[in-house]
This record gives sequence, C-alpha cells and structure tokens, in this order.
Amino acid sequence: MTLRDSPHGAELRVTGVRLPPAAAFRLNEMGIRLGTLAHVTQQAAFGGRVVAVAGSRFALDGGTAALIDVEQVQRPA
Amino acid sequence: MSCHTSPSTSDLGRSATATLPDTLRVLLIGGPNVGKSTLFNALTGARQRTMNAPGTTVELATGTWRTGTPGTLAPVTERAIVDLPGTYSLLARSVDEQVSADAVRDLARSCDEITCQPGVAVVVLDATALTRSLYLLAQVAETGVPLVVALTMLDLVATAADSPIAALEPGTLATALGAALGVPVVPVDARNRADAGQRDLARAVDDIAAHPRRLSGIAQPTSACCDATPVTVPDDGVPLLAHELAHAETLFAWVEQVIEQVRTRLTPEVDARTQTSFDRRHHRTFSDRVDAVLLNPWAGIPVFLAVVWLLFELTTRFAAPLQGLIGQLVNGPLATAVTWVLGLFGLGHSWLQGLLVDGLLVGVGTVLTFLPVMAIMFTALGVLEDSGYLARAAFVADRAMRSLGLDGRALLPLIIGFGCNLPALAATRILPNARQRLLTGLLIPLTSCSARLTVYVLLASAFFPANAGTVIFAMYLTSVLLVLGGGLLLRRTAFRDVHAEPLILVLPPYQRPHLGTLAMSVRLRVGSFVARAGKIIVITMCVVWLLMALPVTGGHSVGDVPVGDSVYSRVASGIAPVLTPAGFGNDHAAAALMTGFVAKEVVVGSFAQSYAVAKPADAARAGSLGEQLRASFDESSGGHGGAAALAFMVFVLAYTPCVAALAEQRRLFGWRPTGSALLAQLAGAWVLAVLVFQVGSRL
Repeated sequence: MTLRDSPHGAELRVTGVRLPPAAAFRLNEMGIRLGTLAHVTQQAAFGGRVVAVAGSRFALDGGTAALIDVEQVQRPA
Repeated sequence: MSCHTSPSTSDLGRSATATLPDTLRVLLIGGPNVGKSTLFNALTGARQRTMNAPGTTVELATGTWRTGTPGTLAPVTERAIVDLPGTYSLLARSVDEQVSADAVRDLARSCDEITCQPGVAVVVLDATALTRSLYLLAQVAETGVPLVVALTMLDLVATAADSPIAALEPGTLATALGAALGVPVVPVDARNRADAGQRDLARAVDDIAAHPRRLSGIAQPTSACCDATPVTVPDDGVPLLAHELAHAETLFAWVEQVIEQVRTRLTPEVDARTQTSFDRRHHRTFSDRVDAVLLNPWAGIPVFLAVVWLLFELTTRFAAPLQGLIGQLVNGPLATAVTWVLGLFGLGHSWLQGLLVDGLLVGVGTVLTFLPVMAIMFTALGVLEDSGYLARAAFVADRAMRSLGLDGRALLPLIIGFGCNLPALAATRILPNARQRLLTGLLIPLTSCSARLTVYVLLASAFFPANAGTVIFAMYLTSVLLVLGGGLLLRRTAFRDVHAEPLILVLPPYQRPHLGTLAMSVRLRVGSFVARAGKIIVITMCVVWLLMALPVTGGHSVGDVPVGDSVYSRVASGIAPVLTPAGFGNDHAAAALMTGFVAKEVVVGSFAQSYAVAKPADAARAGSLGEQLRASFDESSGGHGGAAALAFMVFVLAYTPCVAALAEQRRLFGWRPTGSALLAQLAGAWVLAVLVFQVGSRL
C-alpha cells in the first residue's frame, strides 16, 4: 500500500521510499525514514496527503505520496 | 578536495558592522518557520538592513545586536548578526540553502585562522520539531563553529501533543536538552514577550565565543580547510548521496540518543506521556481542524483563490485612494511650494524649475505613490506567512504550477500581477528558491496589469466598437498564454535546472501574527524599495524630462519647448520606422510607447498630447482622439488600422510594464537578469506585434 492509498485517520509505518535519491535523502533529513510512524491527518486534492510525524505536519503531493510505501499498524487497545 | 570556498559568503556578518573589525559575528541558522526572523527582529530592533548575499539574489537581513546601556555600569556590546535563509540541512539543495551552508562553513574556517575574527552560530531549534532541528544542529557542530542553541516555539509545544517530548515545562526542557548537548540552550520567546531570553542568549553567545565548547557526541572536524568545502546534493549524485546517507544515519542515531537522554532526565513527566504516546498521535490540534477546511479537496482551492482575490483588491482598489491622495499632495501643494520658493530666488519658469518640478518631483511622487501598494503587499504577505497559511497555499496550488516547474506559491504573485506588476514582483520573496523567484519575476511582466487596461479600452473602443469587450478579453487570454508559453520556453532554455520536485512541505502550526515583528519587517522592506528601486525611478523621470526639455529646433530655450520640437519627439521619430512592420510606424504611436515605458497609465494622455486633442475622460468614449487614432493607424498600416491597433495592444502587453517594475526587478535580481529581460521583452513584443499585424492584415 502507498501513502496515497491511505485513508484519513490511518496509522501507518513507512516501509519503503521509491523517490529519486536526492528527494529520498531530503525526506530522511526531514524526519521521515523507514520505520517512521505516521498518522494521516488530511486527504487533500489530487491525492495529496498531510501526515503527522513526531508532532510535525508534513504535506506531500499525490505523486510523492504514491512513491512512499506504508503498512497500516494497529492502534493498541 | 578543494580547499577553496566561494568568496561570496565570506563577508557575511562582517558587512553588518564593517567599521568594527573585532566585533563578534553571529549567524542565526535554523529551519524554515522556526522563529529565526522573529528572534532577529527582537535582537536588532531598528538596527538592521537587507542585502543580497554577494553574487546571488538571496536576500539577507543583517543587523547590529546591541546589549548594555550607554552611560551606565552595563557595558555596551555590539555584535554583527546575520539572519540566514531557513534550511533543513547543510547539504544544500538550492541557492538559498547554499548561502546558509557556506556562511556557517566560512565562519568555522575563519575561527581557525590566525587572524581569527570571533564568530558564533546561534542554532534556532524548534521545540515542536526537535528531531528535525537536532539533525541540523549536529551538522553545524560538525563544522567546528562555536555554537549556542536558542529554543523557540515553546508556547506551541503544548499544541503539538503527539511530539515525543511534548508539553514539557519550557525551562525543564531547555535544561534537560542543555545537559544532553553540552552547549548552552537558551529558551527564547521573542514572539510573546519582550526580552524573553534575549539577555541570557547574549550572555551565552559572549561566553561561548570566549570559551568554545563542543556538542556532546559529535566528532570534531579533522580539518577546517576541508570542512569549509561547500557541499551540494546533486539530483543525480548517487555516489555522494550514498556516502552522505551513511553519515546522516550516524547523525540520526545521535538525534535519537539525545531525545532518549532528554526523556530519561525527565522520567516522571515523560513516563505518563510515552504510555499514551500512540493515543496522542490521534490528538487533533487546532491546526488540524483548520486544515480540515483549508486543505479540503473541494474547499481548499476556492479558499486559496479568495485569499488571492483579497490581495488583488487590497493592492488595487484599496490602495488606489491612498495613491491618489499622495499624487495630489505632491503635484498640488508640494509642486506649488517648490515653484513659489524658486520664484523667491528669481528662478521661476526657469529650466531649474522644470527639472525640479517636472522631473525630480514627478519621480519622487511616483515613488511615494507606490508606497501604499508596497506596504499593503508586504503586510499582507507577512500576515499570510506568519499565520502559517502560505505553506498551505503552496500545497493547494502545487498542481497548477507544476507544469512550469514552479512552487505552488508562485501562483500568488502571478495573479497579483494582473492588478499591478510592482507588488507582484515584491511578492516573489515568498518563494523559497532563488531560481524560482527569478523565473517567476521574469514572467510577471507578462501578466496584464490594470494600467494596460486603459490602452486596451481606448483602442478597442476606437477600432472595434461593436466587439470591444471581446477584444479586451482576448488580451487577457493572450496574457495568460504568454505567461504559460514564456514559462515553458524559459524552462527549456535558461532555466533547465528548474523542474518540479517532489513536494514535501512542513506545515507550521497556525499562529497569530506578531504585530511588532510584522511592522519591523514591512518597514525594512519598504525602506529597501525606496532606497534601491526609488533611486532608479527618480533618475529615469529626470532623464525623460531632459529629453522633453531639450529643443531640436531654433527659437526655443531649454525647458520651454513644445513636445513636437524636443529631443523626445526626435527620438520617437527615429523609432517609428522600426515599428512599421507591425503597422503602427508613426510618431504618435512611437512617442506613446516611449511614455508607456515610464508608466502605462500615461499612454492615453500621451496620445492626446501628440494629437493635440483633449484626453477623453472615459477611454471607452474616445471621441476625436479615436478619429485621429484611426486616421494615423490606417495611414501607417496601409489601410489595415484594425490589425495595427491589435498589434499595438499586443506590444503594450508584452513590453516593459513600467520603469517602477524595472527598478524593482533590478532591486530583486540585479542588473544582468533585468537588462536581459528588458531586451527580451522588447524583442518579444516586436515579434508578436509584427506577427499579429502581418496575419491580421491578410485576413
């Protein structure tokens, strides 16, 4: 599943990034890395997503979100 | 590895207080939207100015940070401080980031030289995003520069409840962080409280300059020389990236270690939080609730367009009465007063009166009439930026600008350009990338400002009375097509390096703009406009007066000559043949275009003056001026006056909007791009006009 496919409110873990190397590197620097937990706070137009990561909100356009692989994680009871 | 760094950034900081060679140099560095500029304004007050980083179009604020009170026991200390462009990393991916990275490395290098000029980097850490901020801190520390940490956004920590170490008491967090880092960490709150933390910050900076300390857990640089080598992340630079990524992993590990240490030091408070940390990820902040509307797929774009419309109205309709009032004051009482004073000295009706009243004063008046527009635009942009909406605007409009390789925020100045090109050019500062600012700044003159509308209305009404509305609409459509075509052409030629990149944007929490900071920023930017662009406008106005004042025929004295017998008219006659292929190669049209170079508002008046008829009160009722225009355009076009009029309108759309816009371009981008753009605009306008006439006259 990609971030673009993720619904509003989904709890996710980043499992892969297929962006060009420079963009993937900057994503790492900004704090979104393999294993990072994220929460989709907003679905925007054209497949864009806003995710919460460690207190920050990141906006990603639909094309970028489609190149970030995620898995849904269960919220503990 | 080369040991040479660009000399361009070496003087940053030195230039702020150039007369004091031993002045401590301070660089403010941090990510975008971490409160750097707010802190800078609080530290420098009015003792600041803007400048372009040498060799770039990146604007920097430099200033003097003074503490102590003259005449008291507290000694006065001055430090030269530079507010660097926001960056997430010292591995630069844009010219703006490169300026920041180079400045830090230059400072580190100068501190290791024998003739060391002392310097300290103040790394501004966002308390709501420590993970990201600490990574940059580690990179700065690796350069070897002495550093102090300023901790900001503490008032927002509570709202970022899903942060790993959120909602901690500010002082506690700073103490714990300071203990983990081994360098001074000073909580500052320049936004909400005067001098909140600033004295502590000054003490920490002075202390660290005298007794540098290393960041715990970060290796010291092996060589100042090689650390000073600028590093940029190339788009295709996989080998460098592999090396840097491996190194970055060690920094990420260090960041996690620091955060863990802070957690451990704050065990009682954090325990309760970490147990519910997963639940806290569901905490819906105020910003999330606002974003649910502003970033909604259906509401986001209409809201963005409404914001742009508001800006458009503010810089046109709202500013117009203020501009009119200033114009009346300058051309009325002020001009009368100057004339009266000159009369007292027996200089009434002399060439000096002409120069002062019709040249200098007109130039000063032009600059002053633009002040409300510029102040309104800078205020509005400041509000949008400080509130946090601008980042959302980039996200919402991203799709629209992607084909031109531009940030979504570029749409905002381009739309404002349809009101007035001048504030639109000023608005390019919201773009985070220098090349994108330049590209947008070159496209803005192609947006049809409202001043051009009077020309369209006059000619469309005179030549196409039954279809005037359609013709005017076609001009606006042509303007949009020129922006798109020009953008695509530039991207395939001079701007091959500008391309749409994956959009990964940090959305800052919404905040109430700080009025003091906003006022300071507006004052600084308006002052910069007056000092740098205003000078060019005044000089140009004086040159235009001179051309109109110098006679080419006998019987006239300087400053007392009909326009038709002046150098101005002779120059227009010289230009006219060049315009013949476009169908409007007559002196009247050439003179009007020359006047239009100064300002499009005066083109209609120039036509009226050259035909010696009254300027129509309503351009749509051209009257005798319309008849004169039809006669001369028909004559110069061989009976195809309509095609020639269309060609003239296209020329007016495509060539230089006005001298004020030209001066603003020069202020923002320098002479070289401005000069090239001027030539390209004139050549492009001529080619398009010829094309329109040649095709139109054959239909």
